[in-house]
Amino acid sequence: MTDTDRGTQRDRNSAFYLFSPPSNQIFLSLIFCWSCYGCCVAFYLFTQQNLPACKPVLTPEWVFMTFLFIGFIFIPVGLVTLRASHSVVEIVERYDIGCVPEPFRINKVSYIQDDSIPKNCSLSFKVPKYMKAPIYIYYQLDNYYQNHRRYVKSRSDKQLLHGQNQHGISSCQPVEVNNDRPIIPCGLIAWSLFNDTFTFIRNRAELKVNRKNIAWKSDREHKFGKNVYPFNFQNGTLIGGGKLNPRIPLSDQEDLIVWMRTSALPSFRKLYGRIEKDLDVDDVVVVHLMNNYNTYSFGGKKKLVLSTTSWLGGKNDFLGLAYVFIGSSSVTIAVVFTLLHLLSHRH
Amino acid sequence: MSGWDNIRSSTRSQQGRSHSLNQREPSRTVTLGRVQPQAPAFRTIYCNDRDANFAHRYRGNSVSTTKYNFFTFLPKGLYEQFRRVANLYFLMVSILSATPYSPVHPVTNVVPLSLVLLVSLIKEAFEDWKRFQNDMAINSTPVDVLQDQRWESIPWKKLQVGDIIRVKQDGFFPADMLLLASTNADGVCYIETANLDGETNLKIRKALERTWDYVTPEKACEFKGEVQCEQPNNSLYTFTGNLVIDNQTLPLSPNQILLRGCSLKNTEFVVGVVIFTGHETKVMMNSMNVPSKRSTLERKLDKLILTLFGTLFTMCLIGAIGSGVFIDRKYYFLGLSKSVEDQFNPNRRFLVVLLTMLTLLTLYSTIIPISLYVSIEMVKFIQSTQFINKDLNMYHAETDTPALARTSNLNEELGQVEYIFSDKTGTLTRNLMEFFKCTIGGEIYGTGMTEIERGVAERKGIKVQEVPTSINSVREKGFNFDDVRLMRGAWRNEPNPDACKEFFRCLAICHTVLPEGDESPEKIKYQAASPDEAALVLAAKHFGFFFYRRTPTMIYVRESHVERMGKIQDVSYEILNVLEFNSTRKRQSVVCRYPDGRLVLYCKGADTVIYERLVGGSDDLKKVTREHLEKFGSAGLRTLCLAYKDLAPDVYESWNEKFIQAKSSLRDRERKLDEVAELIEKDLILIGATAIEDKLQEGVPDCIETLSRAGIKMWVLTGDKMETAINIAYACNLLNNEMKQFIISSETDAIREVEERGDQVEIARFIKEEVKKQLKKCLDEAQQYFHSVSGPKLALIIDGKCLMYALDPSLRIMLLNLSLNCSSVVCCRVSPLQKAQVTSLVKKGARKITLSIGDGANDVSMIQAAHIGVGISGLEGMQAVMASDFAIAQFRFLKDLLLVHGRWSYIRLCKVVTYFFYKNLTFTLTQFWFTFYTGFSGQRFYDDWFQSLYNVIFTALPVIIVGLFDKDVSSSLSKRYPELYKEGIKNMFFKWRVVAIWAFFAVYQSLVFYYFVTVSSSTSQGSSGKMFGLWDVSTMAFTCVVVTVNLRLIMICNSITRWHYISVGGSIVAWFLFIFLYSGIMTPYDRQENIFWVIYVLMSTFYFYITLLLVPVAALLGDFLYLGVQRWFFPYDYQIVQEIHKDEADDSGRTDLLGIDNQLTPDEARSYALSQLPRELSKHTGFAFDSPGYESFFASQLGVYAPQKAWDVARRASMRSKPKPKPNKIN
Repeated sequence: MTDTDRGTQRDRNSAFYLFSPPSNQIFLSLIFCWSCYGCCVAFYLFTQQNLPACKPVLTPEWVFMTFLFIGFIFIPVGLVTLRASHSVVEIVERYDIGCVPEPFRINKVSYIQDDSIPKNCSLSFKVPKYMKAPIYIYYQLDNYYQNHRRYVKSRSDKQLLHGQNQHGISSCQPVEVNNDRPIIPCGLIAWSLFNDTFTFIRNRAELKVNRKNIAWKSDREHKFGKNVYPFNFQNGTLIGGGKLNPRIPLSDQEDLIVWMRTSALPSFRKLYGRIEKDLDVDDVVVVHLMNNYNTYSFGGKKKLVLSTTSWLGGKNDFLGLAYVFIGSSSVTIAVVFTLLHLLSHRH
Repeated sequence: MSGWDNIRSSTRSQQGRSHSLNQREPSRTVTLGRVQPQAPAFRTIYCNDRDANFAHRYRGNSVSTTKYNFFTFLPKGLYEQFRRVANLYFLMVSILSATPYSPVHPVTNVVPLSLVLLVSLIKEAFEDWKRFQNDMAINSTPVDVLQDQRWESIPWKKLQVGDIIRVKQDGFFPADMLLLASTNADGVCYIETANLDGETNLKIRKALERTWDYVTPEKACEFKGEVQCEQPNNSLYTFTGNLVIDNQTLPLSPNQILLRGCSLKNTEFVVGVVIFTGHETKVMMNSMNVPSKRSTLERKLDKLILTLFGTLFTMCLIGAIGSGVFIDRKYYFLGLSKSVEDQFNPNRRFLVVLLTMLTLLTLYSTIIPISLYVSIEMVKFIQSTQFINKDLNMYHAETDTPALARTSNLNEELGQVEYIFSDKTGTLTRNLMEFFKCTIGGEIYGTGMTEIERGVAERKGIKVQEVPTSINSVREKGFNFDDVRLMRGAWRNEPNPDACKEFFRCLAICHTVLPEGDESPEKIKYQAASPDEAALVLAAKHFGFFFYRRTPTMIYVRESHVERMGKIQDVSYEILNVLEFNSTRKRQSVVCRYPDGRLVLYCKGADTVIYERLVGGSDDLKKVTREHLEKFGSAGLRTLCLAYKDLAPDVYESWNEKFIQAKSSLRDRERKLDEVAELIEKDLILIGATAIEDKLQEGVPDCIETLSRAGIKMWVLTGDKMETAINIAYACNLLNNEMKQFIISSETDAIREVEERGDQVEIARFIKEEVKKQLKKCLDEAQQYFHSVSGPKLALIIDGKCLMYALDPSLRIMLLNLSLNCSSVVCCRVSPLQKAQVTSLVKKGARKITLSIGDGANDVSMIQAAHIGVGISGLEGMQAVMASDFAIAQFRFLKDLLLVHGRWSYIRLCKVVTYFFYKNLTFTLTQFWFTFYTGFSGQRFYDDWFQSLYNVIFTALPVIIVGLFDKDVSSSLSKRYPELYKEGIKNMFFKWRVVAIWAFFAVYQSLVFYYFVTVSSSTSQGSSGKMFGLWDVSTMAFTCVVVTVNLRLIMICNSITRWHYISVGGSIVAWFLFIFLYSGIMTPYDRQENIFWVIYVLMSTFYFYITLLLVPVAALLGDFLYLGVQRWFFPYDYQIVQEIHKDEADDSGRTDLLGIDNQLTPDEARSYALSQLPRELSKHTGFAFDSPGYESFFASQLGVYAPQKAWDVARRASMRSKPKPKPNKIN
């Protein structure tokens, strides 16, 4: 702005005060005038490319300060996060091989596909640390491509919500109809429902597993219909996984809902239920499980996971470690930068 | 190198054509642009008879330069758009995404594509509309046409072939027309051809005697004639045809033709018959289709896009092969056991690979930044319309002309220019000659100081003192001289009053100027063929020797203070002989008789020729005068030596006889006249010398100096003579005495000798040999200097005729090598076509970025040939401007245009492009990493809408803001450190290295995004123990990507305005708003409800915030470290300047604008202490004198026949050998 520009602006401002209290019209016109003027100035500055701007110059001081600042923020956050992760007690038991009786170990696939062989099996483990309720029970599958394109798209959200509908189940291929009647719920995902079951016994007393409220509330309420009941499900020649109770509406079939929230990676955990009792150190927990689900054909692992949670979730050191690593490397870089800055003179 | 072929073929056809013309007259036609093959038939035009002409269906006179019309707009516009590979690719991908192989919904690709097309088409339509309006304005200019014995005013477009029209003074000719009659006596009219060839000298056109009377409408309507002439062609300087009146056939020549684009001067009005109309006029046939220019950066961008295609293909191939390997029946949950579609059929793995290729192609399509082109276009459009057009630094207040970017394609090209080709007249100079200094009897007069002197002084650190102008100083256009010692008779007190008197008389008598108007000193106007002469006569007037009347034999001068102070008397001098000026003689003499009978020969001319003819003795004067001449020359002034000689009556008489004899000879008259002149022009007595300033445009030397510091090399291409060109080169600081100058000229004795013999083939062969020899010699020498460490700077001066041969394919490489070694090149006497050839020689041969600047129609081809054409606007001629890409009012604005706008645009565009590249690569690579964990199935990581809006909403605006506002150093610093511009010439900001660094960080960041997010989300999140699914993870990752990519943008900014904050913040906020809405609403339409409620779930966990802090910082840490290290250890020049000036407040453009104005105001007194200057000795003495059309102009006034000077050298040469047998009688 030139001096004259400033002068006019000042004049306008003083005029504004001189006439105060102004009549409404003058007031409005002055406001209008002023804002129009401001606009003009802004546009002038724009076309002359002189908009006020800050010009950050990344001097070594700035670099140093920034790195130091990041270090000071990240190391504490990382430590807190790590602590949260370490406060979680997690028990992971792989059972897919252990649960196949010795004679069948050579051909596990035929074992799992043979319905005549009983599939029960038990595991036992000792609780290493005190676990505070609620203790979450997960099953973990590996090498299971729930995120495969063919798998992910093989579902019909419309059908899950609204039920019987001939249309809109074409996406469910190849499991959309059986005997010319639509399958509810259709699609590969539902068809391959995980169906191992677990019962937990501590000190000969069964630990009650709460299997309610394991799915996302939003899924239960908005994606799975309250009036939609399984129909014609797993009636085909090939049975992929678990069956559903046709008298329970889909919105209450929480196993299905959990299962149908497809995982991001081929190795994933899904929530099975909660034990709402604390487990003490050295408690021996025996798990009776029905080893129904076939992961043997593609060599997938099955694991049972018992875990408590912290405010941050399950046991995962990654975030904390990453924070600490980045924080400490920032500090290191800052120090190196300072040393270089002190030792050498630029230009 | 296809451009060469075009040029070669055009020269060949030109030669072929001129050969056929040689039957009629042995002339070489010099043409603009191509020469079209002519239809064999002649055209017959019935004058003043529309019905008869109707049968021929000649084209109308309306002119259209638009690209589209209403119907062709959509198909042609779309075709233009799809010529861009990226758009075509997206069309293909859009089609592909409608097939079942696509993992994404068509909307993902269709929405951005249609948005991009829409914006581009609107822009095209807007630009074409402006062209249309311009055409309309031209087409509806009124012109008087003869209808029913009256002049009716009709618009240009209604004009038809055969119409008789009237054009008034200063009016433009609406079509090519045959001159019938003029209000001037003898059917003569004067025209200015500035629009065609840039020459502002008036040309004479003369109607056939038979038609002189048809001036009034009553008479003109009686005119019934038939014009038989050649078909329309683009040769400006030829015309063959006959006019048939009353069964009498009169031959027509170019002398009777008035071309469209020229304007009428000094004539009240002329009457003519329209011959060629509209697009068939010669000037329109010369205007080539404006080639749509693409900037080099954009072409390089195409390479980048191709590389991206390569990357894309590789990624797809890897993924596809993976999918072929992966697919297996053992994954029973994929339902592969029954009949399976081809893409997943484990039995047909090869097909799986192929189809997955298609899938992945659509999935990874985001790697090609679709909105890049449209963003660039938008940025450039605003840059040109808002910044360049509205820049007050480039606004010329006197003519009220702002800069004008006529195309927005080339903004960033302005930042990389390495060679500037400049026209001289009107561009570097104002074509205004001002009497500036003189030396009389060994004494320098005139206290002024040229800009170049001032520049030299300033460079040497001498403070130039301002001397106040004397009270008596007179200033007039053409006279800028201030010295009290000479004005108002003060010269009588000078040591050498007699010399002064002779000096003034010589100025007042020895010339060919015609006075016009009232015979008073204030009102008189001098009509001169050359502005130098006018300036000299004007000077004589101010010195008190007022030349006010001329008759064929007498010159009347009103002399003041001659006998005593204050006495004014009218003196008449009888002019006995005029020995004319021509380029070989380089001098002009007048023999006059004083009223008292004294016979004197006054002579003025080049110092070389005058000094040869001086009488012996008085060596001191000669030496001193030569020193003065050198001084004038190095100051860029044009000098003429004045001399006189008293003649004894008997000597004169005997000589005069010979002269008359020579004059009346029919053969070789000119040569004989020259010989006779030699006899008397000897033993001259030196009086002194004049120094005329060929007034440069404001700020030219300073601008050229700055540009050369910026690493830009400047070539001057001019139609002027060599002396003039060299002179201007001195004046502009392009040449100086420290330079080694290579001069390749056709004006050597050897060549002239061969030319005399007249054998065209022999001449061509000889000149070619000569040029080859010279080139070789110069090149050898140049290379010697080049290898030596501190050799002088080199300069090449070449004239048009030599250039013609030097541009021959066999010599071209040599010419190029030589000229690239020279820091400045001056080409004189070049035709418009040669200008274009030289330009494309550098453009294509050296692959450097070229800029041509000019103001006249003769510069059009050069302007179009260069990467960037700049026209000088604000003058009358608009041809150059119409062909140009940028129009500025003054040459000096080039500094702002290049160093400020060009540089900024370049840096901004580089940032925009590399950033686009980075953000799309990063985004797509996260998707790519995900593919490895989905069994290579091509499952999309992100939701369709995320992907389609990523480019057009979440990351679109900030990068445009950077393209508009980023400013590394302020405009004044850009001009203060022109060296910064070199970074653009070297293309420092868009090298593969730069791209590779961006690519490296894109890979790094994408890995951080993908792995940090997926690994950290592999266990339960939050205390509810629930797990995240695919869409939760991807939304998390996408959030990180959007935030990081936007923050990364802030890191590339050199200046951050609030618009940066608003746009960056706005983009991030836009993402959150979008996802809040998108995941909050369930629509009844068939939609995969994957994203429902996801963001709310995510945001209810601590995990979200912890990750959102971690991932962007982790991703940007590498970049930040790189930026810090780069700036510290390998800084760019601009970064150093930034740091030097980092504590200074941002200058307001206003102050530096004022600074410039102060420096350059035209009214600023130019008197500085001359004595302060160090004396420079030089060989250059500054002789230059313009006289196109000279002899004929003067001769015709005297009733003496002289061949009409044509507009170019080649033609003149040929005409001299065959003068027309029938002399035109005047009087």
